[in-house]
Amino acid sequence: MSDREIVIAFVGNPNVGKTALINAISGAELKVGNWPGVTVEKKEAIFTYKGRRFRLVDLPGIYSLSPYTLEEKISQEFLLDGRPDVVVNVLDSTNLERNLYLTTQLADLGLPAVLVLNMWDEFQAKGYSLDLRMFEGVMGVPCVPTAATKGMGVSQILDAVLDALQERRVLRVVRFDEVVEEELERIEEMLRDIECPYPLRWSSVKLLEKDHFFIEKLQEKIEYELPPWIDESRRKIERYYNEDVDTVLAVQRHGYINGLLKEVLKKPVQRRIELTSVVDNILLNRVVGLPIFLLLVYLMFKVTFDGSAPFVDWLDGFFNGFVAKWLGYLFFKLGLPGWVNSLVIGGVLQGVGLVLSFVPLMLLLYIFMSFLEESGYMARAAFLMDRIMHAVGLHGKSFIPLVIGFGCNVPAILATRALENERDRKLTALLIPFMSCGARLPIYALFAGVFFTKHRAEVVFSMYLLGMLISLIVGFILRRTVFSGEAPPFIMELPPYRIPTFKMLWRSTWLRTKAFIKKAGTVIVAAMVILWVFLNVPFGAPPEKTILGRVSSAISVLFVPAGFGRDWRPVAALIPGTAAKEIIVGALGQLYGVAGKDEENYSHPGSFVKDLKEQAEGFVGAFKEAFRLIFASLGSQALSVEEEESSVASAIKKSFTPLSAFSYMVFCLLWMPCVATLGMFYKEFGWSMVGLSVLLTTSVPWLVSTVIYTVGRLLGYS
Amino acid sequence: MKLSELQVGQEAVVVRVRGDAFLKRRLCDMGIIKGEKVKVEHVAPLGDPIEVVVKNTRLSLRRSEADQIEVEVGGE
Repeated sequence: MSDREIVIAFVGNPNVGKTALINAISGAELKVGNWPGVTVEKKEAIFTYKGRRFRLVDLPGIYSLSPYTLEEKISQEFLLDGRPDVVVNVLDSTNLERNLYLTTQLADLGLPAVLVLNMWDEFQAKGYSLDLRMFEGVMGVPCVPTAATKGMGVSQILDAVLDALQERRVLRVVRFDEVVEEELERIEEMLRDIECPYPLRWSSVKLLEKDHFFIEKLQEKIEYELPPWIDESRRKIERYYNEDVDTVLAVQRHGYINGLLKEVLKKPVQRRIELTSVVDNILLNRVVGLPIFLLLVYLMFKVTFDGSAPFVDWLDGFFNGFVAKWLGYLFFKLGLPGWVNSLVIGGVLQGVGLVLSFVPLMLLLYIFMSFLEESGYMARAAFLMDRIMHAVGLHGKSFIPLVIGFGCNVPAILATRALENERDRKLTALLIPFMSCGARLPIYALFAGVFFTKHRAEVVFSMYLLGMLISLIVGFILRRTVFSGEAPPFIMELPPYRIPTFKMLWRSTWLRTKAFIKKAGTVIVAAMVILWVFLNVPFGAPPEKTILGRVSSAISVLFVPAGFGRDWRPVAALIPGTAAKEIIVGALGQLYGVAGKDEENYSHPGSFVKDLKEQAEGFVGAFKEAFRLIFASLGSQALSVEEEESSVASAIKKSFTPLSAFSYMVFCLLWMPCVATLGMFYKEFGWSMVGLSVLLTTSVPWLVSTVIYTVGRLLGYS
Repeated sequence: MKLSELQVGQEAVVVRVRGDAFLKRRLCDMGIIKGEKVKVEHVAPLGDPIEVVVKNTRLSLRRSEADQIEVEVGGE
């Protein structure tokens, strides 16, 4: 067995520093993947120590091994079928009372184990002390005090793992009262007879609990019917204690822990006032709590979008200006046909540029999100907002992703990760496209400037409000249909405040950004190529003869009820709009034939070195600009209205009435999110959610625009 | 009385936990069991949820969940 890989499962409550610990041990970056079939992250690191290969698997943070949440099911599944050689149970030393509860459940597995007493520095600073030798003796496995963020004790963990493995040191099982043990023995005997493939102690406890997840699992492995006498066993226990079995077991486990800690743990004589209490008295204050939260959200929004805007602009210029120009020049010199140039530059390069232009945005946002998450504030935000969000069937933590959606939908979908519950997370993500992102503003600006000159601001603002209103209605309906079922209880820990280290923030930020570039990037680039085909085949034909022109002419009749279907061109502009919403404005310009196609002139490209230097200077300038934007201006640049050229304005004036223009604006607001957002849906949730989102964002805008147009007509508007 | 009826800063002892299996199990796992001391630490600005301290841990509970927890003030 010496050359076989050693699989180590890291298990522990949320917020105990498991991931930081694995990073500290392996020194390498964790690989992030998804668990098969679900979207909870699976993090792994592989490395070699003392000539042995180790695979560290970071299981999701859980409080218990009950079958009720996805995280718990995943953990149970891996512990039973993933064949871990050793379980490393990471504990928050400052809260052993609660952390050891999971340990008592892990003990039933009978696997070699190591207990890691993390946050040992904090534990000591708080004045606690622990009789480590005695604790180790009672628990039966090696115990290692660590402070993962400082690297303390980390090197001992692997030696402890090897020790636990060689000596087969397993956690001591918690014995329940005789009444319970008798029944467990009976079940164990029966399980032995049917050759249960799982640890007997574990299995018998799970059968007594009637853990449906485990029972199904067992039935997949062996032909087996739950004998009816187990119900009799349960009733016996319940009669004896006048409590249900779950409660009886939980009480006895907690009782065992209390007894143990009385022996080994010395608490400080005088309880000091905790920092967390002091901070919470301000941040959760009934008067200033909400204003402070809203201010923080505003700051996060502003810094994320203003701070990244110059870099996004620079990247855009770098790809579409610099790279496109020189690549075009190269193609011209090689004598390649025009369509190759157009496909590579207009399709592939634009797609790559689009993906990469999100990187600065996501980096900034994710640093913020990680900070909120790791510091413990995210749970407070949910606490403050839950009442409002709950009214529409959402969760307190849904608020932040929805707000971020006003800047850009792509990072907003990423931000739904703060929601632990899969259903809440999906529901929130589906509502994000209705949040009017910054890219939709040029469309409103164009139409409001032409048709609603007197009420421009009000009309633009009404788009934002309408987006929110529609999202609430859609959320309400989805909650009662696709995402129906009882709301999960909102029992959330408010973890103690901790100051996250920069290294920690950077790691999780970079890891996720990398995953975005890899996974969503491929989808986005492919979609851009398909879009290019739509817009350019047959190559060189006028707009109405391309696939786009033909398709939109054919389907434009569908949009007659919404008020803008008599002309094929507004319909056609929506399709390139899926590349990025602001393209709709440019596409309208091209379709109405006002903006002539700018032909690149490759005969006098100028100096390559000079261009390169300009790009470098632009990059440096972006830093300056970012700082200026964050600190100098009060309003957010993400929401600023840019004036569009008037030639498009006069062209659309003939094609729309004020009412149909309003209907079109609403349609653009609610219409399919851009390719990058859909790519994010794919990356985070898979194809079925992409489909669901497309279905929602095609049917809802059609319905709403039609209603608006019809009602408007009835009220006498035109 | 119910946990949801406690004032901010008030301490009590859990007498009984009601509710469906999921809620009960969740609360048990978090240490809200018979005989355990609980204290209401904060109430959210809009009155719901509430923050409860149990076993050295701060938990956020909705009022509807706190309704299911029966407590006794002053009784050990």
